[in-house]
Amino acid sequence: MNQADVSKLMSRLKIKYSPVKRKLKNSEGPVGRAKKIQKTLTALIKHERIELNFNRADETRGYVERLISDAIRYGDCHRATMELADYWLLEKQLVHKLFKVLVPRFENCPVSYTRMYRAPRPCPGNHFERAVLELRGNPYPSLLPDTISNRNLIHNVLLDEAHKEYRAQKYAEIARKLEAADENVAKSSGDSDGPESSGLETPEEIKASTEAQVASEVQPSGEKVARPSKDVQ
Amino acid sequence: MDMMNRRNHIDIPEFYVGSVLAVSSSNPHAPEKVTRFVGICIQRGGCGLRAFFIIRNVVDHQGVEMFYEMYSPVIQKIEVLRLEKRLDNELLYLRDALPEYSTFPLDMEPEYLPEGSAIPVNPIKVKLKPRPWLERWERQELKGVQDLGLPKRFYERAAAVAKPWEKYDLMAEYRESIPAEEQEEIFAEVYSQLHQLEVTRKIMKRKRTFVKPKKMG
Repeated sequence: MNQADVSKLMSRLKIKYSPVKRKLKNSEGPVGRAKKIQKTLTALIKHERIELNFNRADETRGYVERLISDAIRYGDCHRATMELADYWLLEKQLVHKLFKVLVPRFENCPVSYTRMYRAPRPCPGNHFERAVLELRGNPYPSLLPDTISNRNLIHNVLLDEAHKEYRAQKYAEIARKLEAADENVAKSSGDSDGPESSGLETPEEIKASTEAQVASEVQPSGEKVARPSKDVQ
Repeated sequence: MDMMNRRNHIDIPEFYVGSVLAVSSSNPHAPEKVTRFVGICIQRGGCGLRAFFIIRNVVDHQGVEMFYEMYSPVIQKIEVLRLEKRLDNELLYLRDALPEYSTFPLDMEPEYLPEGSAIPVNPIKVKLKPRPWLERWERQELKGVQDLGLPKRFYERAAAVAKPWEKYDLMAEYRESIPAEEQEEIFAEVYSQLHQLEVTRKIMKRKRTFVKPKKMG
Protein backbone atom coordinates (compact mmCIF):
# COMPACT_ATOMS: atom_id res chain seq x y z
CA MET A 1 0.00 0.00 0.00
CA ASN A 2 2.29 2.75 1.25
CA GLN A 3 5.46 0.80 0.68
CA ALA A 4 8.41 3.18 0.47
CA ASP A 5 10.67 2.44 -2.47
CA VAL A 6 14.06 2.16 -0.82
CA SER A 7 15.87 0.62 -3.77
CA LYS A 8 17.97 3.78 -4.23
CA LEU A 9 19.93 5.35 -1.39
CA MET A 10 19.67 9.14 -1.28
CA SER A 11 20.70 11.84 1.18
CA ARG A 12 18.16 13.79 3.17
CA LEU A 13 17.17 17.16 1.71
CA LYS A 14 18.14 20.05 3.97
CA ILE A 15 15.41 22.33 2.65
CA LYS A 16 11.68 22.55 3.12
CA TYR A 17 9.85 21.17 0.12
CA SER A 18 6.15 20.91 -0.60
CA PRO A 19 4.65 17.40 -0.41
CA VAL A 20 2.68 18.01 -3.60
CA LYS A 21 4.19 18.22 -7.08
CA ARG A 22 3.48 21.54 -8.82
CA LYS A 23 2.29 21.23 -12.40
CA LEU A 24 4.01 24.48 -13.52
CA LYS A 25 1.42 25.56 -16.07
CA ASN A 26 2.60 24.69 -19.54
CA SER A 27 1.09 23.51 -22.78
CA GLU A 28 2.98 20.23 -23.15
CA GLY A 29 1.95 18.67 -19.81
CA PRO A 30 4.45 16.67 -17.74
CA VAL A 31 7.03 16.77 -20.56
CA GLY A 32 6.88 20.57 -20.57
CA ARG A 33 7.21 20.68 -16.78
CA ALA A 34 10.37 18.58 -16.97
CA LYS A 35 11.76 20.85 -19.72
CA LYS A 36 11.06 23.98 -17.63
CA ILE A 37 12.85 22.55 -14.64
CA GLN A 38 15.75 21.49 -16.87
CA LYS A 39 16.14 25.06 -18.13
CA THR A 40 15.95 26.62 -14.67
CA LEU A 41 18.39 24.12 -13.23
CA THR A 42 20.88 24.69 -16.05
CA ALA A 43 20.60 28.45 -15.59
CA LEU A 44 21.13 28.22 -11.83
CA ILE A 45 24.24 26.09 -12.15
CA LYS A 46 25.54 28.38 -14.90
CA HIS A 47 24.94 31.78 -13.28
CA GLU A 48 24.77 30.73 -9.58
CA ARG A 49 22.11 33.38 -8.92
CA ILE A 50 18.85 33.81 -10.83
CA GLU A 51 15.65 35.76 -10.30
CA LEU A 52 12.42 34.08 -11.32
CA ASN A 53 8.88 33.33 -10.27
CA PHE A 54 8.42 31.78 -6.86
CA ASN A 55 6.70 28.53 -7.80
CA ARG A 56 9.27 27.64 -10.45
CA ALA A 57 12.11 28.50 -8.05
CA ASP A 58 10.65 26.40 -5.26
CA GLU A 59 10.12 23.45 -7.57
CA THR A 60 13.61 23.45 -9.02
CA ARG A 61 15.26 24.03 -5.64
CA GLY A 62 14.43 20.46 -4.65
CA TYR A 63 15.84 19.12 -7.91
CA VAL A 64 19.07 21.10 -7.55
CA GLU A 65 19.63 19.91 -3.99
CA ARG A 66 18.91 16.28 -4.98
CA LEU A 67 21.25 16.46 -7.97
CA ILE A 68 24.11 17.95 -5.93
CA SER A 69 23.62 15.52 -3.04
CA ASP A 70 23.62 12.57 -5.46
CA ALA A 71 26.77 13.89 -7.12
CA ILE A 72 28.44 14.15 -3.69
CA ARG A 73 27.28 10.70 -2.61
CA TYR A 74 28.11 8.76 -5.76
CA GLY A 75 30.76 10.84 -7.54
CA ASP A 76 31.20 11.06 -11.27
CA CYS A 77 32.24 7.46 -11.91
CA HIS A 78 28.69 6.28 -11.17
CA ARG A 79 26.77 5.67 -14.39
CA ALA A 80 23.28 6.48 -13.07
CA THR A 81 24.41 9.81 -11.56
CA MET A 82 26.18 10.76 -14.78
CA GLU A 83 23.03 10.00 -16.77
CA LEU A 84 21.00 12.18 -14.40
CA ALA A 85 23.45 15.06 -14.72
CA ASP A 86 23.47 14.58 -18.48
CA TYR A 87 19.66 14.79 -18.59
CA TRP A 88 19.15 17.75 -16.29
CA LEU A 89 22.06 19.95 -17.41
CA LEU A 90 21.44 21.07 -20.97
CA GLU A 91 24.96 22.54 -21.41
CA LYS A 92 27.49 19.74 -21.11
CA GLN A 93 30.27 21.96 -19.72
CA LEU A 94 28.09 22.39 -16.63
CA VAL A 95 28.32 18.65 -15.97
CA HIS A 96 32.05 19.22 -15.52
CA LYS A 97 31.33 22.23 -13.30
CA LEU A 98 28.96 20.14 -11.17
CA PHE A 99 31.42 17.36 -10.48
CA LYS A 100 34.69 19.31 -10.41
CA VAL A 101 33.64 22.58 -8.74
CA LEU A 102 30.35 22.22 -6.88
CA VAL A 103 30.99 18.79 -5.35
CA PRO A 104 34.25 19.85 -3.61
CA ARG A 105 32.57 23.12 -2.56
CA PHE A 106 29.58 21.42 -0.90
CA GLU A 107 31.17 18.15 0.20
CA ASN A 108 31.28 19.00 3.90
CA CYS A 109 28.41 21.45 3.91
CA PRO A 110 25.97 20.61 6.74
CA VAL A 111 23.32 23.07 5.52
CA SER A 112 21.45 23.45 2.26
CA TYR A 113 23.41 24.12 -0.92
CA THR A 114 20.99 26.77 -2.18
CA ARG A 115 19.43 29.89 -0.74
CA MET A 116 16.10 31.29 -1.80
CA TYR A 117 14.91 34.82 -1.08
CA ARG A 118 11.61 36.46 -1.89
CA ALA A 119 12.15 39.27 -4.38
CA PRO A 120 10.16 42.48 -4.84
CA ARG A 121 7.67 42.64 -7.72
CA PRO A 122 7.68 45.62 -10.08
CA CYS A 123 4.48 47.53 -9.33
CA PRO A 124 2.12 47.79 -11.21
CA GLY A 125 2.65 44.37 -12.74
CA ASN A 126 1.73 40.72 -12.55
CA HIS A 127 0.66 39.25 -9.27
CA PHE A 128 3.21 36.44 -9.47
CA GLU A 129 5.52 36.20 -6.49
CA ARG A 130 9.18 36.61 -7.44
CA ALA A 131 12.13 34.83 -5.90
CA VAL A 132 15.91 34.84 -6.12
CA LEU A 133 17.57 31.42 -6.11
CA GLU A 134 21.31 31.26 -5.53
CA LEU A 135 23.98 28.70 -4.72
CA ARG A 136 25.91 29.14 -1.49
CA GLY A 137 29.43 30.36 -2.06
CA ASN A 138 28.58 32.34 -5.17
CA PRO A 139 31.00 35.11 -6.21
CA TYR A 140 28.47 37.96 -6.07
CA PRO A 141 28.09 40.30 -3.05
CA SER A 142 25.50 39.25 -0.51
CA LEU A 143 21.87 40.19 -1.07
CA LEU A 144 21.16 40.69 2.63
CA PRO A 145 22.05 44.12 4.11
CA ASP A 146 25.30 44.40 6.06
CA THR A 147 24.33 44.70 9.74
CA ILE A 148 27.82 44.33 11.21
CA SER A 149 30.04 47.15 9.99
CA ASN A 150 27.78 50.03 11.06
CA ARG A 151 28.32 50.22 14.83
CA ASN A 152 25.62 52.87 15.21
CA LEU A 153 22.77 50.47 14.53
CA ILE A 154 20.83 49.81 17.73
CA HIS A 155 21.62 46.12 18.02
CA ASN A 156 25.34 46.79 17.53
CA VAL A 157 25.22 49.60 20.12
CA LEU A 158 23.62 47.27 22.65
CA LEU A 159 26.10 44.49 21.89
CA ASP A 160 29.08 46.84 22.29
CA GLU A 161 27.77 48.02 25.64
CA ALA A 162 27.26 44.44 26.76
CA HIS A 163 30.85 43.67 25.73
CA LYS A 164 32.13 46.62 27.78
CA GLU A 165 30.14 45.58 30.83
CA TYR A 166 31.46 42.05 30.61
CA ARG A 167 35.02 43.31 30.28
CA ALA A 168 34.57 45.61 33.30
CA GLN A 169 33.21 42.71 35.32
CA LYS A 170 36.18 40.53 34.45
CA TYR A 171 38.67 43.27 35.29
CA ALA A 172 36.99 43.81 38.64
CA GLU A 173 37.40 40.09 39.32
CA ILE A 174 41.09 40.24 38.40
CA ALA A 175 41.57 43.23 40.66
CA ARG A 176 39.93 41.37 43.55
CA LYS A 177 42.14 38.31 42.93
CA LEU A 178 45.27 40.48 42.84
CA GLU A 179 44.32 42.13 46.13
CA ALA A 180 43.72 38.75 47.70
CA ALA A 181 47.08 37.48 46.41
CA ASP A 182 48.86 40.62 47.72
CA GLU A 183 47.27 40.13 51.15
CA ASN A 184 48.42 36.48 51.18
CA VAL A 185 51.93 37.52 50.21
CA ALA A 186 51.97 40.18 52.93
CA LYS A 187 50.75 37.67 55.53
CA SER A 188 53.29 34.98 54.56
CA SER A 189 56.20 37.44 54.44
CA GLY A 190 55.09 38.79 57.87
CA ASP A 191 55.00 35.22 59.40
CA SER A 192 58.27 33.93 58.03
CA ASP A 193 60.93 35.46 55.77
CA GLY A 194 60.08 33.18 52.86
CA PRO A 195 61.50 33.63 49.37
CA GLU A 196 60.13 37.00 48.32
CA SER A 197 60.61 36.36 44.65
CA SER A 198 58.12 33.53 44.67
CA GLY A 199 55.62 35.68 46.57
CA LEU A 200 55.96 38.52 44.06
CA GLU A 201 55.46 36.24 41.11
CA THR A 202 52.12 34.81 42.15
CA PRO A 203 50.06 38.03 41.74
CA GLU A 204 51.78 38.62 38.39
CA GLU A 205 51.04 35.07 37.30
CA ILE A 206 47.42 35.50 38.26
CA LYS A 207 47.31 38.76 36.28
CA ALA A 208 48.84 37.16 33.20
CA SER A 209 46.56 34.13 33.24
CA THR A 210 43.40 36.14 33.78
CA GLU A 211 44.39 38.64 31.05
CA ALA A 212 44.85 35.75 28.66
CA GLN A 213 41.49 34.32 29.72
CA VAL A 214 39.69 37.62 29.20
CA ALA A 215 41.38 38.22 25.85
CA SER A 216 40.33 34.81 24.55
CA GLU A 217 36.79 35.02 25.89
CA VAL A 218 35.94 38.56 24.79
CA GLN A 219 35.66 38.74 21.01
CA PRO A 220 36.60 41.88 19.09
CA SER A 221 33.41 43.68 18.15
CA GLY A 222 34.10 43.63 14.38
CA GLU A 223 33.70 39.84 14.10
CA LYS A 224 30.51 37.94 13.69
CA VAL A 225 29.66 36.66 17.16
CA ALA A 226 27.15 33.90 17.68
CA ARG A 227 27.48 33.52 21.46
CA PRO A 228 24.83 35.65 23.12
CA SER A 229 24.83 33.52 26.27
CA LYS A 230 28.36 34.66 27.11
CA ASP A 231 27.76 38.38 26.64
CA VAL A 232 24.40 38.61 28.39
CA GLN A 233 24.62 37.90 32.12
CA MET B 1 7.26 -3.70 17.38
CA ASP B 2 4.52 -6.20 16.57
CA MET B 3 6.64 -7.31 13.65
CA MET B 4 9.60 -7.82 15.98
CA ASN B 5 7.41 -9.84 18.36
CA ARG B 6 6.32 -12.08 15.52
CA ARG B 7 9.89 -12.48 14.36
CA ASN B 8 10.84 -13.63 17.83
CA HIS B 9 8.58 -16.65 17.36
CA ILE B 10 8.97 -17.36 13.66
CA ASP B 11 12.11 -17.12 11.62
CA ILE B 12 11.30 -15.10 8.48
CA PRO B 13 14.39 -15.53 6.33
CA GLU B 14 15.84 -13.17 3.79
CA PHE B 15 14.49 -13.80 0.30
CA TYR B 16 13.91 -11.90 -2.93
CA VAL B 17 11.57 -12.04 -5.88
CA GLY B 18 12.81 -15.05 -7.83
CA SER B 19 13.79 -17.23 -4.85
CA VAL B 20 12.14 -20.60 -4.40
CA LEU B 21 10.32 -20.88 -1.07
CA ALA B 22 8.47 -23.57 0.86
CA VAL B 23 5.78 -22.21 3.17
CA SER B 24 4.02 -24.34 5.81
CA SER B 25 0.78 -22.79 6.96
CA SER B 26 -1.94 -24.16 9.24
CA ASN B 27 -5.06 -25.36 7.51
CA PRO B 28 -8.06 -26.72 9.48
CA HIS B 29 -9.27 -28.81 6.53
CA ALA B 30 -6.01 -30.66 5.82
CA PRO B 31 -5.55 -34.17 7.27
CA GLU B 32 -2.36 -33.11 9.11
CA LYS B 33 -3.61 -29.56 9.74
CA VAL B 34 -0.52 -28.25 7.89
CA THR B 35 -0.25 -27.38 4.19
CA ARG B 36 3.18 -27.09 2.64
CA PHE B 37 3.45 -25.16 -0.63
CA VAL B 38 6.61 -24.85 -2.70
CA GLY B 39 7.04 -22.25 -5.41
CA ILE B 40 8.90 -19.25 -6.80
CA CYS B 41 8.22 -15.83 -5.31
CA ILE B 42 6.87 -13.61 -8.06
CA GLN B 43 5.88 -10.51 -6.11
CA ARG B 44 6.53 -8.85 -2.78
CA GLY B 45 4.68 -5.86 -1.49
CA GLY B 46 2.82 -4.19 1.31
CA CYS B 47 4.23 -2.32 4.24
CA GLY B 48 4.50 -3.27 7.90
CA LEU B 49 2.18 -6.01 9.12
CA ARG B 50 0.48 -6.16 5.72
CA ALA B 51 3.67 -7.20 3.97
CA PHE B 52 2.86 -10.02 1.56
CA PHE B 53 4.43 -12.24 -1.03
CA ILE B 54 2.96 -14.39 -3.80
CA ILE B 55 4.30 -17.84 -4.62
CA ARG B 56 3.71 -19.56 -7.94
CA ASN B 57 4.03 -23.17 -8.98
CA VAL B 58 2.53 -25.49 -11.60
CA VAL B 59 0.87 -28.56 -10.08
CA ASP B 60 -0.66 -31.22 -12.37
CA HIS B 61 -0.36 -28.87 -15.38
CA GLN B 62 -2.35 -26.25 -13.48
CA GLY B 63 -0.69 -22.96 -12.50
CA VAL B 64 -1.31 -22.19 -8.82
CA GLU B 65 -0.47 -19.01 -6.93
CA MET B 66 -0.63 -18.63 -3.18
CA PHE B 67 -0.83 -15.26 -1.44
CA TYR B 68 0.80 -15.16 2.01
CA GLU B 69 1.04 -12.34 4.53
CA MET B 70 4.46 -12.48 6.13
CA TYR B 71 3.36 -11.71 9.69
CA SER B 72 0.19 -13.79 9.70
CA PRO B 73 0.06 -16.19 12.66
CA VAL B 74 -1.28 -18.83 10.29
CA ILE B 75 2.18 -19.27 8.77
CA GLN B 76 4.22 -21.80 10.66
CA LYS B 77 7.45 -21.98 8.70
CA ILE B 78 9.13 -20.27 5.74
CA GLU B 79 12.07 -22.10 4.19
CA VAL B 80 14.19 -20.74 1.42
CA LEU B 81 15.01 -23.60 -0.93
CA ARG B 82 16.95 -21.50 -3.43
CA LEU B 83 18.04 -17.94 -2.64
CA GLU B 84 18.58 -15.94 -5.79
CA LYS B 85 17.50 -12.77 -7.57
CA ARG B 86 16.23 -12.30 -11.10
CA LEU B 87 16.66 -9.51 -13.59
CA ASP B 88 13.26 -7.95 -12.74
CA ASN B 89 11.62 -6.79 -9.54
CA GLU B 90 8.35 -8.56 -10.32
CA LEU B 91 7.93 -11.82 -12.17
CA LEU B 92 4.24 -11.47 -12.99
CA TYR B 93 5.08 -12.35 -16.62
CA LEU B 94 5.53 -15.96 -15.54
CA ARG B 95 1.75 -16.22 -15.82
CA ASP B 96 2.10 -15.73 -19.57
CA ALA B 97 5.27 -17.78 -19.90
CA LEU B 98 5.61 -21.43 -20.79
CA PRO B 99 4.78 -23.63 -17.77
CA GLU B 100 8.28 -25.11 -17.58
CA TYR B 101 9.61 -21.81 -16.15
CA SER B 102 7.22 -21.97 -13.17
CA THR B 103 7.41 -25.67 -12.25
CA PHE B 104 9.32 -26.67 -9.18
CA PRO B 105 9.21 -30.15 -7.61
CA LEU B 106 7.27 -30.16 -4.36
CA ASP B 107 9.94 -32.21 -2.62
CA MET B 108 12.82 -29.92 -3.58
CA GLU B 109 15.88 -29.99 -1.33
CA PRO B 110 17.21 -26.70 0.01
CA GLU B 111 20.31 -25.45 -1.81
CA TYR B 112 22.93 -23.88 0.42
CA LEU B 113 25.19 -21.02 -0.55
CA PRO B 114 28.67 -20.51 0.91
CA GLU B 115 28.49 -18.20 3.92
CA GLY B 116 28.95 -14.52 3.25
CA SER B 117 28.65 -14.78 -0.54
CA ALA B 118 26.72 -12.29 -2.66
CA ILE B 119 23.20 -13.24 -3.67
CA PRO B 120 23.38 -14.84 -7.16
CA VAL B 121 21.46 -13.12 -9.95
CA ASN B 122 19.86 -15.55 -12.36
CA PRO B 123 20.17 -14.06 -15.87
CA ILE B 124 17.60 -16.44 -17.35
CA LYS B 125 15.44 -15.12 -20.21
CA VAL B 126 11.95 -16.54 -20.12
CA LYS B 127 10.00 -17.45 -23.26
CA LEU B 128 6.38 -16.27 -23.32
CA LYS B 129 3.38 -18.02 -24.82
CA PRO B 130 1.86 -16.43 -27.93
CA ARG B 131 -0.59 -13.54 -27.43
CA PRO B 132 -3.15 -12.78 -25.88
CA TRP B 133 -1.42 -11.92 -22.60
CA LEU B 134 -2.63 -10.63 -19.26
CA GLU B 135 -0.63 -7.40 -19.56
CA ARG B 136 1.13 -5.49 -22.30
CA TRP B 137 4.59 -6.81 -21.59
CA GLU B 138 6.14 -4.88 -24.46
CA ARG B 139 5.33 -1.58 -22.68
CA GLN B 140 7.16 -2.57 -19.51
CA GLU B 141 10.94 -2.63 -19.54
CA LEU B 142 11.33 -6.31 -18.74
CA LYS B 143 14.85 -7.64 -18.77
CA GLY B 144 14.12 -11.27 -17.93
CA VAL B 145 12.08 -11.98 -21.07
CA GLN B 146 13.24 -13.20 -24.45
CA ASP B 147 12.53 -11.19 -27.58
CA LEU B 148 8.73 -10.89 -27.69
CA GLY B 149 8.53 -11.20 -31.49
CA LEU B 150 5.60 -8.81 -32.00
CA PRO B 151 4.79 -6.80 -35.14
CA LYS B 152 6.36 -3.34 -35.32
CA ARG B 153 3.17 -1.40 -34.56
CA PHE B 154 3.21 -2.69 -30.95
CA TYR B 155 6.64 -1.29 -30.30
CA GLU B 156 5.81 1.99 -32.03
CA ARG B 157 2.72 2.41 -29.89
CA ALA B 158 4.72 1.53 -26.77
CA ALA B 159 7.27 4.23 -27.65
CA ALA B 160 4.47 6.77 -28.21
CA VAL B 161 2.83 5.99 -24.88
CA ALA B 162 6.05 5.79 -22.90
CA LYS B 163 6.97 8.44 -20.29
CA PRO B 164 10.77 8.51 -20.24
CA TRP B 165 10.98 11.70 -18.15
CA GLU B 166 9.56 9.90 -15.11
CA LYS B 167 12.82 7.98 -14.79
CA TYR B 168 14.68 11.24 -14.05
CA ASP B 169 12.09 12.82 -11.76
CA LEU B 170 14.27 13.36 -8.69
CA MET B 171 11.67 14.88 -6.39
CA ALA B 172 9.01 12.25 -7.08
CA GLU B 173 11.61 9.61 -6.31
CA TYR B 174 12.55 11.40 -3.09
CA ARG B 175 8.96 11.77 -1.91
CA GLU B 176 8.36 8.04 -2.35
CA SER B 177 11.48 6.87 -0.57
CA ILE B 178 13.14 7.12 2.81
CA PRO B 179 16.47 9.01 2.87
CA ALA B 180 19.61 7.33 4.15
CA GLU B 181 19.86 9.30 7.42
CA GLU B 182 16.28 8.40 8.40
CA GLN B 183 16.88 4.76 7.48
CA GLU B 184 19.82 4.68 9.85
CA GLU B 185 17.73 6.21 12.66
CA ILE B 186 14.99 3.63 12.16
CA PHE B 187 17.46 0.77 11.90
CA ALA B 188 19.21 1.85 15.10
CA GLU B 189 15.96 1.21 16.97
CA VAL B 190 15.67 -2.41 15.91
CA TYR B 191 19.32 -3.26 15.31
CA SER B 192 20.04 -4.98 18.61
CA GLN B 193 17.04 -7.28 18.40
CA LEU B 194 17.68 -8.18 14.77
CA HIS B 195 21.29 -8.95 15.54
CA GLN B 196 20.23 -11.30 18.33
CA LEU B 197 17.84 -13.06 15.99
CA GLU B 198 20.57 -13.55 13.43
CA VAL B 199 22.88 -15.02 16.03
CA THR B 200 20.23 -17.47 17.20
CA ARG B 201 19.48 -18.36 13.58
CA LYS B 202 23.12 -19.21 12.96
CA ILE B 203 23.25 -21.33 16.08
CA MET B 204 20.11 -23.24 15.04
CA LYS B 205 21.61 -23.86 11.60
CA ARG B 206 24.70 -25.42 13.10
CA LYS B 207 22.74 -27.52 15.60
CA ARG B 208 22.12 -31.00 14.32
CA THR B 209 18.41 -31.72 14.48
CA PHE B 210 17.47 -34.73 16.57
CA VAL B 211 15.36 -37.12 14.46
CA LYS B 212 13.12 -39.25 16.64
CA PRO B 213 13.75 -42.90 15.68
CA LYS B 214 10.65 -44.49 14.12
CA LYS B 215 9.62 -48.07 14.89
CA MET B 216 10.37 -50.43 12.01
CA GLY B 217 8.19 -53.45 11.27
